[in-house]
Amino acid sequence: MKNEVVFSCEDVHVFVEDKEIVKGVTLEVRAGEKHALMGPNGSGKSTLAAALMGHPGYRVEGRITLLGEDVSEMSPDERARRGMFLSFQYPVAVPGVSVANFLRAAISARRGEEIPVREFRKLLTEAFAALDIPRSFMGRYLNDGFSGGEKKRLEILQMMLLEPVFALLDETDSGLDIDALKVVSEGINRVAGDHMGLLLVTHYQRILNYVRPDRVHVFMDGRIVRSGGPELAHELEERGYDWLAPEGAAVGGAA
Amino acid sequence: MADTAHTLDTTTLLDEAAVRAAAERAGGGDASLDTRLEALATFRDTPPPDRVRHLWRYTDFSRLLPESLEPAGPLAMPEIPEPPDGGMVVVLRPGAPPEVRSSDAAREAGVRVLPLGEALEGEELFGTVVPASHGYFEALNAAAWDGGVALTIPGGVHLERAIRLLVVAPDGVSLPRILVVAGRGSEASVVEEHVGGGEATRLVGVTELSVGEGANLRHTVLQRLDAGARAHLTTRARVARDGGISTVVASFGGSLVKMDLGSLLAEQGARSEIVGFVLGEGRQHMDHHTVHEHVAPRTWSNIDFKVALTGRARSAYTGLIRIETTAPGTEAYQENRNLLLSEEARAETIPELEILTDDVQCTHGATVAPLDEEQVFYLESRGIPGDEAERLIVRGFLEATLSRLPDSVRTDVEAAVEQRLKAFEGGHR
Ligand SMILES: Nc1ncnc2c1ncn2[C@@H]1O[C@H](COP(=O)(O)OP(=O)(O)OP(=O)(O)O)[C@@H](O)[C@H]1O
Ligand SMILES: [Mg+2]
Repeated sequence: MKNEVVFSCEDVHVFVEDKEIVKGVTLEVRAGEKHALMGPNGSGKSTLAAALMGHPGYRVEGRITLLGEDVSEMSPDERARRGMFLSFQYPVAVPGVSVANFLRAAISARRGEEIPVREFRKLLTEAFAALDIPRSFMGRYLNDGFSGGEKKRLEILQMMLLEPVFALLDETDSGLDIDALKVVSEGINRVAGDHMGLLLVTHYQRILNYVRPDRVHVFMDGRIVRSGGPELAHELEERGYDWLAPEGAAVGGAA
Repeated sequence: MADTAHTLDTTTLLDEAAVRAAAERAGGGDASLDTRLEALATFRDTPPPDRVRHLWRYTDFSRLLPESLEPAGPLAMPEIPEPPDGGMVVVLRPGAPPEVRSSDAAREAGVRVLPLGEALEGEELFGTVVPASHGYFEALNAAAWDGGVALTIPGGVHLERAIRLLVVAPDGVSLPRILVVAGRGSEASVVEEHVGGGEATRLVGVTELSVGEGANLRHTVLQRLDAGARAHLTTRARVARDGGISTVVASFGGSLVKMDLGSLLAEQGARSEIVGFVLGEGRQHMDHHTVHEHVAPRTWSNIDFKVALTGRARSAYTGLIRIETTAPGTEAYQENRNLLLSEEARAETIPELEILTDDVQCTHGATVAPLDEEQVFYLESRGIPGDEAERLIVRGFLEATLSRLPDSVRTDVEAAVEQRLKAFEGGHR
């Protein structure tokens, strides 16, 4: 349904041991909306994304919902099966597990039933073609020895096959060459359509020329310090982040 | 598990009457009895294993030892598979001659399967690969084996299909003994599968393999004993000039298992490879030892041994490479990798190299690593439940080794791995 809130988080705090890294984030994403999250290195963007996905290494406070359902206490796989997706800034290699076997397990898990072999083959062929990934990658071990750009393409391929309702894309554009950026952006747009919500973490305006955001959020020291329209991204490109630094901030947490 | 270590009185475990009784049950003539009585003498002269000595540092030998040789009650027989075309199935159990089901093709190829007792008449190879003096358990087996088979693959014969040896363990004591003779230039594959058993199982097995000149033998050991079983298995191959043995061990079952595997590269150009898969969970205790003994020039050996543990399982792996002065131009490689899925699982890995000549190439490596939580998270973030994610990672851990196996062997081992992993408990949280 268009305009439906697909994802929300309310006053989310993320702690690593006793250190507070994310310090209260509230966000709402509706079907068809694309949000960009931009902020300096080390401000906590990846930590936020991983915590929203349910990474076990963090303690999280606050409420996270997906399609109106509270998923705050759910394991990552439960969140994923309900339609949350995270494209990793650094996709993890799993030697010995072939891309095809992995994808079959993931699609079957998301659907709640084994995907028939023929349908799986067809889906795979289409998705590999759409993202211009050689078919030989199906038999390779997951992210093992892949180049940076190849990994990012495979992340979007997974998004394509898993059809999430809400996707967190953590720097999917870094490491992509100019042509690949175009292919991957087209892939993102195609999957996103008008029913999916998207939160795109990026450092660069460039990808936003293809994947046009409805909202841009500036993230500094664990907080969203400013939100605006697409023009905000241009402003950041010109002026950097300093002018947005919250008053009295930057001492790295009140612990 | 409560430690049931008992004070040992080995003279009551095995005396001449027990040896005669075992000979009677297993069948065989005077030659069989003579070798048994010789072995009894050796057994009496062999002190029980010393826990200070490295091979027994990790496992209490008394828990592997039967308390008596009193035959177990009736045996629960598994379903015996029909041999595929060209194949053969041999069932071995205590107190009975081996039961043979052979396809016509295997029979016509001239493969001989005899009860070990009968084969001993005129068979000089018994006890030459694993002599009674090898050790305490081996002497016990040589004197009191209660079910035995001798397989002979005539020279020059190439068998298309594997010979399947199904060794059925009772819920009590059993001492199976297997002799495989691969004649000059022959090619064959023998799958030794240990099944059955229970809490009272005390299995003391010996397998001797003689690989003739230019012969190629594949030996696959599938240890799939039931929960609770305790087993000590000794396997040795003697490889003649330009011959080769490929051993694959999949050790998954039982509660306390010790295996001593190895090859003697006896003549020049001999080759031996050992590939190992050990999966342990719960309170399983696994102790595996491999030996590659190079005594002739230009011999080659390789070991790729993989262990994955969850729950409170324990594994010890010791791998010995010995290269004598008589073995220049030798290559020997050894790798042992261990994956721990739970915090309570423990793995020891001890490479031992005794290299007495300079003209060799030898490498060895060993790792013990915990499950990578980031891999689990990555798979989970795609909807794959934690337990399944762990199984995928374990499967991936074994894959590089599995994928090197020839198709015929791979099918068997993979099926056993899949079946084992299905029941593998998740460990990481
Ligand atoms: N497990 C952890 N242990 C200790 N510190 C951590 C941990 N995870 C994150 N941090 C710290 O939290 C801060 C935020 O890191 P994070 O990766 O979220 O930043 P980011 O905004 O994604 O940066 P970048 O733009 O460079 O990707 C960093 O200072 C990082 O070192
Ligand atoms: Mg980051």
